[in-house]
Amino acid sequence: MSDAVLRSERLCKRFGITTAVDDVSLEFEKGEIHGLIGENGSGKSTFCSTLCGIYPPSSGRFLLEGKELKARSQVEANRRGVSIIVQETGTLPGLTVAENLFLGEEDKFMHGIVKDAGAMDREAQRLLNEYGFTRIVASRMIDYYSFEDRKLIEIVKATYFNPKVLVVDETTTALSQSGREELFTVMDRARSLGNTVIFISHDLEEVIERADRISVLRDGRLVATVRSAEVGSGELKHLMVGRELGTHYYRTDYGEPVPDEVVLRVDDLSVPGQIQGLSFDLRKGEILGIGGLSECGMHEVGKAIFGASFGRSGRVTLEDGYGVDSIPGAIRHGVAYASKDRDNESVVIADSIRDNICLPSLDDLAAGPFLRSGKLDAFARRNAELMSVKMTGIDQYVSSLSGGNRQKVVLARWLGKDSDILVLDSPTRGIDVKVKADIYALMDELRRKGKSIVMISEELQELLGMSDRILIMKRGRISGEFARSRSLGERDLITKMV
Amino acid sequence: MPPGFWRPRIINASGSFQKLKASRAFGISALVALTLLFWAVFRLLSPTNFGSSRQMTDYLQTSIQYAVGGCGLYFIVVMGLFDFSIGANIVLSALVGVLLSRHYGYWGLVLGCLLCGTLIGAFNGLLYSRLRIPSMIVTVGLMLVLESVANFVVRLDRAGFPGKLSSGGMLAFSRAPWNYIAAGAAFLLMFFLLRFTRIGTYCNAIGSDELVAKNMGVDVERYKLIGFVLLHFFVGVMALLTVSYGRGMLAVTGMSSMDRNFKPLMGTFFGVAFKKYGCPVSAIVIGEFIIIMIFNGLVALNVPTTINDFVTGAVLLTIVTLTNRGAKGSVVK
Repeated sequence: MSDAVLRSERLCKRFGITTAVDDVSLEFEKGEIHGLIGENGSGKSTFCSTLCGIYPPSSGRFLLEGKELKARSQVEANRRGVSIIVQETGTLPGLTVAENLFLGEEDKFMHGIVKDAGAMDREAQRLLNEYGFTRIVASRMIDYYSFEDRKLIEIVKATYFNPKVLVVDETTTALSQSGREELFTVMDRARSLGNTVIFISHDLEEVIERADRISVLRDGRLVATVRSAEVGSGELKHLMVGRELGTHYYRTDYGEPVPDEVVLRVDDLSVPGQIQGLSFDLRKGEILGIGGLSECGMHEVGKAIFGASFGRSGRVTLEDGYGVDSIPGAIRHGVAYASKDRDNESVVIADSIRDNICLPSLDDLAAGPFLRSGKLDAFARRNAELMSVKMTGIDQYVSSLSGGNRQKVVLARWLGKDSDILVLDSPTRGIDVKVKADIYALMDELRRKGKSIVMISEELQELLGMSDRILIMKRGRISGEFARSRSLGERDLITKMV
Repeated sequence: MPPGFWRPRIINASGSFQKLKASRAFGISALVALTLLFWAVFRLLSPTNFGSSRQMTDYLQTSIQYAVGGCGLYFIVVMGLFDFSIGANIVLSALVGVLLSRHYGYWGLVLGCLLCGTLIGAFNGLLYSRLRIPSMIVTVGLMLVLESVANFVVRLDRAGFPGKLSSGGMLAFSRAPWNYIAAGAAFLLMFFLLRFTRIGTYCNAIGSDELVAKNMGVDVERYKLIGFVLLHFFVGVMALLTVSYGRGMLAVTGMSSMDRNFKPLMGTFFGVAFKKYGCPVSAIVIGEFIIIMIFNGLVALNVPTTINDFVTGAVLLTIVTLTNRGAKGSVVK
């Protein structure tokens, strides 16, 4: 293709015995938005991290405008015209907004060893104003800004120098609708200037809508590159997974009675500034969905039920009369919790799969004060295999797993603990369709076994497809309640959310 | 729902109060207010023994010595490192300075303190990066080594009172204006390094997230080494002021030099706590002054030393907690 600005040639990236990217040869045209999709662990992020100098390739190479690109750091990649906006936050606390924007690029403000801090602040402010983010003050410490504002600062950092190739790696999941629109405007502007955007997202509709062409990776290999105008999400799912997923990865049953037995009762639950006066019951074998706008307080509900909120008032009572008021108490009485912030609150990133799975069950696995490693290994292996965690072994560190597989480790942990009540906050956030289907199937199976699930989700389709009952929250309170029904639609939920 | 109940937990930095709270003026005002508060309290409790202009000048002259060391410590504490050998370095650098002053006068004293301090910093930094073991362990080992070397150096001093500065001739840095000039130059240098070079930015970046800093092209090992060198350069200045103020230095053994680590460290805590207001240098200087004022205020009240230490420690913890406490549930290491 003559118009290719970037080309990968037989690119491979291996981590030990795992091949994350396997012989990928791919071309990116000048002035296009190129979607890059695939299951979790398919190699998308590794491919782009290799492009941006975060990892060196094991073999193969990138060619940028015909010349080999061999960046050893993000800054070096930036200097060659390639930049990346990452999934999680890439800004550093303890520095000002301006220092973050120009970190590693201070040369333009240096006179010998002296940095012109004033000029740096002024230039940063000019850029922020140019992007329309006038509320952000360049000279102020970045610690004072919200997660969303920091993301916007990252967008400026990644694009102000007009890169030839911009990688947007799963950034949209971290942004609200208005933040997404701002990002899409930046992407469109980059395309109109003749630059290339590599857009990674698990939201297939979003990718089809925004991208000109889409490449699909599966197990580290390139499966296909298609024009987005010529495909639907069904075909893409098929390409990603390698088989038909069908349209019914959600539950298909309607009208199944839920037992009356209440396993958890929430009375007048409040957390200052987050939720107020919530009361509801959870029944045995029920999936109770809780939804609303991102900042409606729903994510705090999961923490409050699990005894992890601060300043909580009201009562959370289990079937046996136990009042949950602490995390250890909740776990002892069969309550499990998977946080939305998976990496910081659910998994111990710098530890093995084995330790992560065994952590809450150590008391059960111990013989007096002693732990037997053989027993721990068997326990971890059994539960990891039950969840089909894609791993080299239970000693593999969680940090080297994809987002979907990390979530599987979290679920394996609670399956091992045999918890009766699972509080799952955004259980499929940033997870591909295949793992999503696995998790939905697991939830359905658990429900049938009499386990009860509180599922907190920002995805309306997920709420509608999986819940026996849905509570919608608005400004910290319950604003609507819906029973499972075929006729229930997104519109019904939205009217109670806004 | 009571009015004003709903407030999302994100920080709205555009609010005018938030803007004020984030400003350098707010940080410095808070420090000045604390200074006035403690002065007023002790002055009220002990009007004859505390707080006269002469006494305040004495407190200031003592506190600036520690503040210089606090400035140096800031470079590595902010990167998440620590150095137990600064007390031993003060002793050794001061003794080297005294020894050289016998032959080269002030040049020997000043350069002896500064060069010896800086070289030890370079050695510490290199050892830390080469051995790849935690800074605390490396510097505890070095502290013992430096204490031994100091005992060897003091034996080389053939003067009547080894380690004692010759009276009259070499005491300019024990009093105004030269002690203020030396300390002021160190504070200005610290401000300059933090604000007008990459060093301040990179030290903060490494402390925030070493991996991200590395990915942004920061040479982490190099800047850690620079951090150690700068720390010990400032320790060299502190040694100069300390040996001048005390008119000499005694060599010690058995980790006794550790005692000299903590007062500078208290100032560093102030600096780290007030970093978010963009005024770490002012915070170290004023914070150190507050600590010395409290210490002397308690002495003026005839409070026993043990109680004095308790109160000083408690005040430090209270101030740092109030200014720098993490949100409930946040992870503090």
